[in-house]
Amino acid sequence: MKKILTLLAASTALTAAIGVPAWSAMHAPADGVLRPVAALFHDATQAMPLVLASDDDDDDDRWRDGSRRGHDDDDDDDDCDDDDDDDECRGGARNPAPAGTVAPPPNGLFGNGAPPQVQVN
Amino acid sequence: MKSLLATLALTTALTLPGLAMARPVTLTTTLNSYGGDGAYLALYVTDASGAYVGSLWMAGGKSKYYEHLSDWYRATGGDTAQVNGITGASVGAGRTLEITLDLADALFDAGYTLHIDAAVEDMRDSPNEVAVPLTSDSAGTPVAGRRYVASFAYDM
Repeated sequence: MKKILTLLAASTALTAAIGVPAWSAMHAPADGVLRPVAALFHDATQAMPLVLASDDDDDDDRWRDGSRRGHDDDDDDDDCDDDDDDDECRGGARNPAPAGTVAPPPNGLFGNGAPPQVQVN
Repeated sequence: MKSLLATLALTTALTLPGLAMARPVTLTTTLNSYGGDGAYLALYVTDASGAYVGSLWMAGGKSKYYEHLSDWYRATGGDTAQVNGITGASVGAGRTLEITLDLADALFDAGYTLHIDAAVEDMRDSPNEVAVPLTSDSAGTPVAGRRYVASFAYDM
């Protein structure tokens, strides 16, 4: 008998734990009884409006040569920026793998010995 | 015992040619105090006919700027696979970049030329900043660049 009661209590508690938040999320409460639970879902949608963020940072695009070819003055064509860490770049090209992370390219110039070592003084 | 010796002999025989066919070469590039941001540098090799053979190093990790290394870019189409695993940070004005690479012996005294293209933000691009023949005799002899490179030398 005790077992049955325990099982019933457990299943009731489980149902309440899952069902009440779900129910309150779907129904705007009129009486305010379930307001604290519903607020988790309802208010959050108002508190966090969709913001379209731009990570353009064209200050770093002021590269030039004599003809200003390839100058990135406009804001529209940058799919990759200096300050982000993504690898996407113009034309879908990715940034190369840094030294030490992969083997040098098999271009016939490199031996099979020590990996490249670099130092900047 | 015999099989062990045979194995050792075989591995030695296979290893030695590999060691003998390449050597560590240190490329030292010192930049002028040009008063700008870090320079992007592309170090690459052409053969006797001037055809691109391959890249040795890329200083500067963002491929969007590689078009400013115009000779290298023209030769490679900006293919970043050419510099995978041989790319480091750009080099600040007045600083010295020292790279040690394990390079094939066949590169030297065979008509190959090492080139450096340079580019700096807000400043003029400098393709073929340095062009130096890869010969045993030229090793250790500093060469001045045209705009950003104060000196370049390779040591074997």
